[in-house]
Amino acid sequence: MKTAAGLVHHFLEKSARLFPGKAAVVHEHNRADYAWINGWANRLAHGLIRAGVRPGDRVVLVCENSVEYVVCYYGILKAGGIAVSMTTDIRPDGLAEALKELAPRVLIVSPKAGKAVRALDPISLGIARVMVIGPGPAAQSLRREAASFPEDLAACPEENPGLAIEPASCAAIVYTSGSAGRPKGVMLSHANITANTSAIIEYLGLTSNDIQMVVLPFFYVMGKSLLNTHFSVGGTVVINNKFAYTASVLKQMAEEGVTGFSGVPSTYAHLLFKSPLAAYRDKLPALRYCSQAGGHMPRSLKLELLKVLPRHTRLFIMYGATEASARLTYVPPERLEAKIDSIGIPITGVALKILSPEGNELMPGKIGELVARGANIMLGYYGDEEATKKVLDGDGYHTGDLGYRDEQGFFYVTERKDDQIKVGGHRINPREIEDTIIESRLASECLVLGVPDALQGRRLAGLVVPVRETAETIEGILKYCAAKLPKYKVPGSLRIVKDIPKTSSGKPDRGRSLKFFETDRVAER
Amino acid sequence: MPEYASEIRQYITDRFLFGDDEKLGDDDSLLDAGVIDSTGILELINHLEERYGIKVQDEELLPENLDTIANISAFLGKKTA
Repeated sequence: MKTAAGLVHHFLEKSARLFPGKAAVVHEHNRADYAWINGWANRLAHGLIRAGVRPGDRVVLVCENSVEYVVCYYGILKAGGIAVSMTTDIRPDGLAEALKELAPRVLIVSPKAGKAVRALDPISLGIARVMVIGPGPAAQSLRREAASFPEDLAACPEENPGLAIEPASCAAIVYTSGSAGRPKGVMLSHANITANTSAIIEYLGLTSNDIQMVVLPFFYVMGKSLLNTHFSVGGTVVINNKFAYTASVLKQMAEEGVTGFSGVPSTYAHLLFKSPLAAYRDKLPALRYCSQAGGHMPRSLKLELLKVLPRHTRLFIMYGATEASARLTYVPPERLEAKIDSIGIPITGVALKILSPEGNELMPGKIGELVARGANIMLGYYGDEEATKKVLDGDGYHTGDLGYRDEQGFFYVTERKDDQIKVGGHRINPREIEDTIIESRLASECLVLGVPDALQGRRLAGLVVPVRETAETIEGILKYCAAKLPKYKVPGSLRIVKDIPKTSSGKPDRGRSLKFFETDRVAER
Repeated sequence: MPEYASEIRQYITDRFLFGDDEKLGDDDSLLDAGVIDSTGILELINHLEERYGIKVQDEELLPENLDTIANISAFLGKKTA
């Protein structure tokens, strides 16, 4: 059932009309139905308007995945505000900088985010109000209590504010880090998000019977798409913030009859190497599909997943960018094995081209940049017209990914334009080496870098997260690489780490990772 | 079991809290307190396996077993019995 919902919060309002008593969000002991969520989102919206929020005002939300997060996200949108959601791990100086740039009218924080906020002076930043909104310890067991929300909100009206908001106006700003430079605020309109949501619902075949297990943070654009898609169809979202305890996530998936699970590559690496997933093969009869986005997943992990997941569970490999709201392509599961390295075909409403540096479309098999057009392409980067012009032009959105298409219209990404490493005269694609390292089965995650070197300009080095660390791990990996790759592609050194440094959007942070090798240079002298 | 609790507290304090365990109760969730995340858990598990000679099965990766000092104590008690 396709509907032209003009605004993002219409998803919630429609489902509250059609399925008021249905569980919309499940989080530990909380089971919040659509009517409850919509009612509180409305109260919050009215409260925000009373605090001075006008259409187009930014409202910053720093809150972990929870029922309260969902209420706040939609409440901000209903008030005509622009929702800017940030990680609760944000450091005080990072938050202060963002707040200066955004000049939000209201700041909403959960008790967990308290640390970053205590160091701030809201008044000097022009913030009209700071709201502290659960989940606190009292809120956890009291679903219907106003304990999670500021007292004055309980007196606000429960009705949809029904503001006349232009679908083309900005609904959200999502921060993303490129491979270099400070995080940029991607501005997404209501129309961007609703178009992308419809397209995703279509290829996943989502219905009101769908129940999504959410382990990814809502402040990522992928996390939000899980929320928006399921709210649009009147499904249910199960929040589990304890993915570290993989056994408990799988247990909950079985208990709740979860129909869909979504992850980024490290989620699946964790699931494959550090969880009883294999033992659950016969215990997840309802698991209709798993989906993967958020970056390149090595082929060996995809193949391993296909082996270990229940036979009836379809695996959707997907590709996108925050700048595209975020989905651009997907691989139809029945084609996955034949197109195992592909990022798939464009979703409805998206046109994807491979362009030469001069902007000419290339023939199948020729490598160029992936450039996308569609209703889901962002409005631009907040406060940064220069950066926006660099990626948005008459051809569309320049993804910064290099790749090609095949004769059947399937696309492939070979590497990120900026990640190419030049070592001793060779141009090296780190991804190829990273995939090889993962194939050795000795590491669950890795990152290959070009470390500055006095002699060669750059030398190849890598960070690895071992599956199970032993004295032979590094040697084993290097031996495997030497057997599979030409000599110049074998990293000169490897360092074992607990995890790969990630950017604020969850992608490997090459800049920060290089720091692991800085002391080496000093020692060399 | 009490002796496990103080040993575990010591390990967590040294390894994750840089010597300051003032606000961490025996029943406080390590995950919620931000003391541990999905990689910290693996380190903790490695430590428990090496120090106490046990093997933590994948199915045992549950908050009931590992998410509080008290839970870890009880879990160790069971595994070493």
